[in-house]
Amino acid sequence: MKKRPYVLASGLALALAVTGCGGASSNSGGETTKAAQENVTPDQGEQEDGAKNNADRNISCTITLATWDVAASKTFDELDLEGRFQELYPNVTIDIEEFNAEPEYFNSMKIRSSASELPDLMFHKSDSMNQYKEYLVDLTDTAANKDNQIASEYAIDGKVYGIPDRKANDYVYYWTDLFDEAGVTVPETWEEFVQVSETLQQHFGANDPEFAAICMGAKDAWPTYPLMEYGPASESGDGYYWDYMTTEDAPFAKGTAIRTVYEKIFNLFQKGVLGADPLGVTYDQSRALFAKKKGAMVLNSPMFLTAYLADGYDPTGLETFYLPFRDSKDDAFNLVTQGDCFLTVTQHSENPEVAKAFLEFYFSDAWYPDYIASISSDSTMNSFPKELDPVLQTASKLQSDVSFVTYGAGESDFIRMVSETKFDCKELGVEMLTEGFNPDARFDELDAIWAEARSKLGL
Amino acid sequence: MNRHSKKRLCFLGLSLIIPVILLAVFVVYPFWELIYMSFLEWDGVASIRPFIGGANYQQLFFKSPEFWLAFRNNLTYLLIHGLMMPLELVLAVVLSSRFKGANFVKAVIFLPFIINGVGISYSFSYFFSPVEGGFNYLLTKLGLGSLIKNWLSDPKIVNYVLSSVSIWRYMGFHIVLFMAGLASVPEDIMDAAIVDGANGWQRLRFIQIPAIRTVIDFMLFDVINGSLQMFDIPYIMTSGGPNGASNTFSIYTIDTAFKYNNFGLASSMAVIMIAMIVAVQMIQKYITSRIRRKEGHYA
Repeated sequence: MKKRPYVLASGLALALAVTGCGGASSNSGGETTKAAQENVTPDQGEQEDGAKNNADRNISCTITLATWDVAASKTFDELDLEGRFQELYPNVTIDIEEFNAEPEYFNSMKIRSSASELPDLMFHKSDSMNQYKEYLVDLTDTAANKDNQIASEYAIDGKVYGIPDRKANDYVYYWTDLFDEAGVTVPETWEEFVQVSETLQQHFGANDPEFAAICMGAKDAWPTYPLMEYGPASESGDGYYWDYMTTEDAPFAKGTAIRTVYEKIFNLFQKGVLGADPLGVTYDQSRALFAKKKGAMVLNSPMFLTAYLADGYDPTGLETFYLPFRDSKDDAFNLVTQGDCFLTVTQHSENPEVAKAFLEFYFSDAWYPDYIASISSDSTMNSFPKELDPVLQTASKLQSDVSFVTYGAGESDFIRMVSETKFDCKELGVEMLTEGFNPDARFDELDAIWAEARSKLGL
Repeated sequence: MNRHSKKRLCFLGLSLIIPVILLAVFVVYPFWELIYMSFLEWDGVASIRPFIGGANYQQLFFKSPEFWLAFRNNLTYLLIHGLMMPLELVLAVVLSSRFKGANFVKAVIFLPFIINGVGISYSFSYFFSPVEGGFNYLLTKLGLGSLIKNWLSDPKIVNYVLSSVSIWRYMGFHIVLFMAGLASVPEDIMDAAIVDGANGWQRLRFIQIPAIRTVIDFMLFDVINGSLQMFDIPYIMTSGGPNGASNTFSIYTIDTAFKYNNFGLASSMAVIMIAMIVAVQMIQKYITSRIRRKEGHYA
């Protein structure tokens, strides 16, 4: 299996983008031959070892798979993804294009889409699929889709373009001994959560200026997402709240779910529970602080635990609970859950049948159970349920009665609105942490910008 | 035309053809595409790219306060680098005088310029970090703990902190350039000035500065160009944050294209940047030529 780190390549792509220059080539497979393409024999849904046998088993070609998930790419290597696929297709090699980070990945893919050079298979986020839909193959009829729990919830115009290989909800990771020492218990409402954070900050922060009740790492902006991105969905119980907002002229008006939850978050930030300089600390630094118990809580997905353990930190005393946005214990406990890492087949593939066969293999018994067991996130496949890590299980033990809210990151109208208004919920979180932020004025301003953009876009 | 002349012409034509093709492919065509894209509404992915005339330019100038903020931040770099130039010149004069260890000092001063910019930015990012940051540690050890600030997260000071890193990086390069210029001043003129009783300031004002005017012109070009295109230091140290407070023109352009999926608007920003650099250069050229003419007139 060939692995290609794409740091330099993405830099070059960026340079080409700035100069408006891109080459055009239809060969995405590298060693793919015309003869190989002609060997493709359509088959009607026969499935062997979990892989749909639509392509000639003796086909000789290379298929490319692009990912931003470095940890997953490492797992592909360790679990011998290529070797396992070659048991079905002995002459197919897999070229993994590995990017160090999600932004670089999508920057590069944008350039490549306009040059018709997308890889055969690529991973997507739920919102990016919408943008790339014209370049993606319809996967509605695949066995992988039919067995997947949530793929159909991310269908676009009734078509499934990507199969999520994991699903996850966010957790609040916390140190049990710090909670015990400060005399606080796991909160069940937002007010309790604020109170617990304040107590922790006062208890430990008095002697340690670097202590933060909540380790956020807001210098990177994105770590604010459990609050700023999931908050409106949780508050409203509507996972597609961003899409709803595109139908409103004043979505930030007083009393709306987003305004209500953002005011709650702003008030939390005002308590100083993110430490002395939350915007000066990166996510990596905040993780290190948390590991050193200079922080009591971290809000993040199961990927935090994967990375935390991979870094060699000790999880003893680490437990989780779900972040309660609700105001009262009588209210439903909304828990936002999201599919992630959607595997897609692109229309630029010279061997779409092989690429589809790979996708079927990926979600089959031949690969998926071992793979999903190696990461902390939950399985999306009905046939392969998974027992979560003990650290994550503590949350469901503490709060077993939750209402799952499936999150959608916004469809095409929302993407157009973001482009027009430059609204970025995570950056708004950073803004809330800056001195002098005036929530009323800012929300009024956002409403005005929003209404103007809607009118311009004809929504 | 004789045979020899024909051959010469043929040779000239052939030797120019490759550079012309390269120039057309890698400079003229991309530039033309960039201008064309600035009149489109394009998210960078969709195959449909509607033509919207000057709407992108209109939006930039009249509806994008972030654009003006980024521009103002670029001007901060320009101003601070500009203010540092006289100091750099004085240091160059001092270092040009022969003293023990001058070469070592020159090497140390030039060192930051040859270190990778990304590495420098990362190092200073940790240096100014509130968590185990070197700068705060130094201040604490010196008994100046009360001066500790949120160096990279306070919108009021972040641009000055980033500018100081930029100064640290480029100062050595500027000093070495000044020194190269000063080395070209004939020693006999300097000796004659000393004999005539000219003091250090007079020698600098009336002999050395006029003699290194070309170097000063180049340096101004470099500072203006570099300040308007400032990218690596703010991008790595703050990503333009907090909340866009340290955004520069280049960061804002890239964010517009890749984060907000607006390649048309980003292209219009790139065109404006090119136009700005050209305009500033023309103004600079006009001013310097006027000064020269004036001095020539009085000479």
